[in-house]
Amino acid sequence: MNSFRQSSSLSNVATVPLAGMILALVLATIPIAEKVAGWVLFIFAVACIARLALQRPGTRLPPLPVKIILFAACVGGVAMTYGSALGIEPGFSILVVLVSLKLIETNDPRDFHVLALLGFFLVLCDLFFSQDLIRWLYIVFILLLALTMVVLFYRDPVLASTPQSARLALTLLLQSLPLAVLLFLAFPRFYGGFRFQFSQALINTSGMSDELSPGSLSSQVLNDAVAFRVDFPDGNMPRVPEMFWRGGVLWHSEGLRWTPGEALLRERRPGKLTGASILQRISLQPHGAFWLFALDRPFGDVNDAIYLPGTVLRSKRAITKSFHYQVVSRPENHELALPADQRKAALQIPSNVPPRVRTLVDSWKARHPEPLQIVESARRFFGSGHFVYTLQPGTYADGGNGLEDFLFERQKGFCEHYAAAFATLMRVAGIPSRIVIGYRGGEFNSVGKFFVVRQQNAHAWCEVWLKDSGWLRIDPTDLIAADGSTSSLASYLETQAARNGPDTHQSLTFKGWRELQHDLQMVWDNVNYQWDLRVLNFDEEAQHNFLFVLGLSSMSWAGIFIWVLIAAAVFVAVLSLWLRRPRAKAGRIERNYARFCDMLARAGLPRERWEGPQHFAARATQHFPEQANVIEHVATLYIELRYGAGTPSPRPFFEAVRRLPRLTRKSNG
Amino acid sequence: MHTNGRTLGLGAVLIAMCYAGASQNNGAAYLLCFVLTSLVIVSLAHAWANLHGLTISAGTITPVFAGEDLLVPVTVADGKGRAHFAVNLTAPGGGPTGPITVSPLSPAPGEVRVPTKKRGYFQTVSLEITSEYPLGFLTATQRQSLAQGYYVYPAPRGAAPLPRTLAPTRQPRAGTRHAGDDFGGVRMWLPGESQRHIDWKAAARNDVLLTKQWTGEVDDILRFDWSALAALEPEDRLSQLSKWIVVAERGFETYELRLPGKIIPAARGDKHFHECLRALAKFEQPATDSRA
Repeated sequence: MNSFRQSSSLSNVATVPLAGMILALVLATIPIAEKVAGWVLFIFAVACIARLALQRPGTRLPPLPVKIILFAACVGGVAMTYGSALGIEPGFSILVVLVSLKLIETNDPRDFHVLALLGFFLVLCDLFFSQDLIRWLYIVFILLLALTMVVLFYRDPVLASTPQSARLALTLLLQSLPLAVLLFLAFPRFYGGFRFQFSQALINTSGMSDELSPGSLSSQVLNDAVAFRVDFPDGNMPRVPEMFWRGGVLWHSEGLRWTPGEALLRERRPGKLTGASILQRISLQPHGAFWLFALDRPFGDVNDAIYLPGTVLRSKRAITKSFHYQVVSRPENHELALPADQRKAALQIPSNVPPRVRTLVDSWKARHPEPLQIVESARRFFGSGHFVYTLQPGTYADGGNGLEDFLFERQKGFCEHYAAAFATLMRVAGIPSRIVIGYRGGEFNSVGKFFVVRQQNAHAWCEVWLKDSGWLRIDPTDLIAADGSTSSLASYLETQAARNGPDTHQSLTFKGWRELQHDLQMVWDNVNYQWDLRVLNFDEEAQHNFLFVLGLSSMSWAGIFIWVLIAAAVFVAVLSLWLRRPRAKAGRIERNYARFCDMLARAGLPRERWEGPQHFAARATQHFPEQANVIEHVATLYIELRYGAGTPSPRPFFEAVRRLPRLTRKSNG
Repeated sequence: MHTNGRTLGLGAVLIAMCYAGASQNNGAAYLLCFVLTSLVIVSLAHAWANLHGLTISAGTITPVFAGEDLLVPVTVADGKGRAHFAVNLTAPGGGPTGPITVSPLSPAPGEVRVPTKKRGYFQTVSLEITSEYPLGFLTATQRQSLAQGYYVYPAPRGAAPLPRTLAPTRQPRAGTRHAGDDFGGVRMWLPGESQRHIDWKAAARNDVLLTKQWTGEVDDILRFDWSALAALEPEDRLSQLSKWIVVAERGFETYELRLPGKIIPAARGDKHFHECLRALAKFEQPATDSRA
C-alpha cells in the first residue's frame, strides 16, 4: 500500500474522472441539501470549484495541518449551528464537510476511491427520506456516473474513452443484478430493537393536517402526489363517488375552524357495525403523522394501530415510510348508542354564535322540531342555489363572524367551509355532529387493477347523530355541486378546465396524445405501486411468505447462506468463463493490421511478439526498401487510428491494406 | 484475489447501508447495499478477465549484488485480442510497476523491481500480476514465473586487507618493470595513468599515446583465495572475496580468484570481473570443508 502511494503520488488524478466524480457528488448532495446547513453547502460549492481550479499542473494542494484545522473549524461550526454535533442533520452537514475537504486533498488513487465511497454514503442518505422509484432511479444514475469515473480513472489516459467506460459500468451493473436480487431475497430480515430512528420532525409531512380550517384542503388542489394506493382483493368495492376514505374525526368546533378536541383521544373499539364487509389492501405513502385511511367505516384489526372514538384508525407509530395494511370496512353501519362523553363533545358549540345564525336555526326548529326534519331543512338551505363552490372563496375571519359572513354574505366556499358550517349549524340546533376528514374518490389504474388516491382527493364531510339511524354521513358539498359526482377536487378541476379550455376544438391527434399520456401515467403508477409493494416492503413477513412459497421455510439461515454462497460462486465462475471467451471478432482495424503483418511474415519478416507497430514498420522499411513508402503509409494510418487523439475514419487504412503490393526484396543481402 | 485498503472502506459503507436497511426497514437501502455488494463481486470476474491472456516475457537481466534491487525489463503482450487496463506487476517484496496498459498487437514494456536477499543463480523470476481494474475494490492476482536466469552476486562486505602477492602470470601488465620482465607489447594509455610508462618513442610516430606493458616471472597481483579466509563463515568469505574483487577492479589491479575446485587465472577487465563474481554467486561449498 505504501509503495503504491509512493509510485502514484506523482501523477494527479486526471481531469475528466475528477470532474465526473464531482458532478456525481453534487447530484448526490441535492436531495439532502435542505437538511444541510447553508454555509456547509457554500463550502461544498467552493471546494468543488477550487479543486477543479487546482487541477492545473504544478499547483500544490493544502498541507495536512491546514486540513485538520479546517475540519475542526467546520465541525465546530456545525455544532454551533445545530447546538450539537450529534444527530441526523449535523451528521449530514459533517458528511458534506468531509466530502468538501476530501475533494480538496484528492491527489492519488486512494483519495479518488475515498471520494467514490463518500458518494455511496451520500446516496444512502438520499434514501432516508424518500424511497420511491424515481429517487431510486436517480441514485442508480449517480451510482453509474461514479462507477464510470472509477473505470475511466483506471484506463490509460491515452486510451481513455468515457462512452466505453460508461458502457462497462452499465454492463457491470446489469451483470450484478441477478446476484443483487438473490441477496435481496435471501438476506435475513429482522425488525425492531434498533435505537436509530429518525425524529418525526425530519420527515416531510405532507397531506392532511390535524385540523380543518378554511384553506387547509383547497391548498391541496394542485398536489397530485399519491396519498395511498388501494386494491380490493375480494373484488368487492363501492362505486368511486361512494369511496369515502375516513382518516380522522374532529370534535371541537370554532365555527369554520375545527380541531380534534382534547377529550377523545383515548383508544376506543368501534361499536357494532353491520353491512357487507369490504376488504382493502392499502399501501400508504409516508406522511409523517399517524393517519391511517380506510373506507367508511373500518372495523377490522390493523397491526400497530388503534381505534379512536369516531371509528378512526390511528397508527401507533408515525408513518415515516410507506406502510402496508389490510383493513375491513362496512359501509352500512349504525351505532345506535352514543356514549355520554361523545355526546357531550358532539354538542359543543363555539363560544360566540352570532344571533343571525341562531335565528336561522330557530326558524328550522320552529317549522319541524324533529331532528331528521331539521337536517332536511339545513340540506335545503345549502341546496337552495345561493351557494357557490369555488377554489377561491377568499379568507374568512375565525370564529362566529366568519361563519356568519360565509352563510349570509359571501356564500362562497370549498368543501371544508360547507362541512364545517353544516356541522356547526347542526350543533346549534342541538343535534350531535362531527367532521370527518380524509379523501374521497380515487382513480382506477386499469393496468395494475388498483385505485390511486391523491392529495387532491382530500375531502371533509360531516356526520350527524340521529336516534334511529346512529351516525349518518352527510356531505354538504354534494348539495352545492350541480350534480352529485363533482365532489372531488380532481373532478372539479376537470369541469373547470372543460368550461374554460378550448377542449371542443382539440384535434384528434391531440386527444390521442392525451390518451397515450394517460395510459403511460397509469403504467408508471403501476410500476411505482409494484415497487412499493414488492421492493420497499419486502420485510420479515414477506420474506417468510416467499420462502414458504419456494418450500424453503423449514431451511435454516445457515443452510440458505450456504446455498447463496454456492449460487454466487457458480455465477461468478460462469461469468468469468463467459468473459474469457475468445473474442470472435477482433476489431476490423485489428484484423486489417493482422493481415498486413501476415503479408510481411509471408515475405520473410514475421513480427516479433514484443514489437509495436512503429518498431515493426521501421524494421520492415529497412528490410523492404522498395516498398518503404507503402509500409510506412499503412503503419502511420494504423498508429493514427489506434493511438491518435481524434477519431479519424478507418477507411483510408482499410484501403491502404487492400492495395498493398506483393512485398519483394530486390537487393539481395 | 485479495483485498486492499479500499475493500475495507467499502465494507464499512456496506455495513452502514445494511444497518440503515434493518433499522428503518428500508427496502431501498437494502437493495442499494446488495447492488453494491454484487457489483464488487462481479467486478472481480472482470478483473480476472483483465488478466486473462496476458503473456509476459523478460529481457536480459543485469546482475546485481545481494541486497540491491534487480531491475527486470519485461514485455507484457496480449494473446487474446483484447485490451488490458491498469495491470500491475509485482515481485515478492517489491513495489508494483505502476499501471501498464496493453492493447492487442501493441505489447507494453515495463520494468519490475525485484529485491534480492541471497546470492546465487536463479532460473526464473516469479511475478505477481494484479489488476484492480475495473472498480478497484478487490484485486485480482495471478502468479507467473518467467524463464529468465539471473545472477545475484554476494554482497561485497568485509574488512580484510588486500592480499598482495608476487606471482608469475605471464600476463602483460603496465607499471614498474621488475628484474627479468620482458616487454609485453603496448596498449592504449588511459587518462589518469602514470605518464612514466608511456611509450614516448611510439608517441612520436603516432598521434596516440601508448603504455608499455611487461610480462615476467613475477607479477604484482592480487590473489583472492577462499582457503585464506578460513576464519570467516562461508557466506562472509564469499562477501569478502566479492569486496576484494570490486576494490581490485576499481583500482585497475590484476587479480586471481581461487575457489575450491576452481581457479580463475589473474586478469582484469569487465569480463574477468563478472566471471569471478559469477563464480562466487554459483559457488557451492564442497562437502568436505577443511577449515585449516
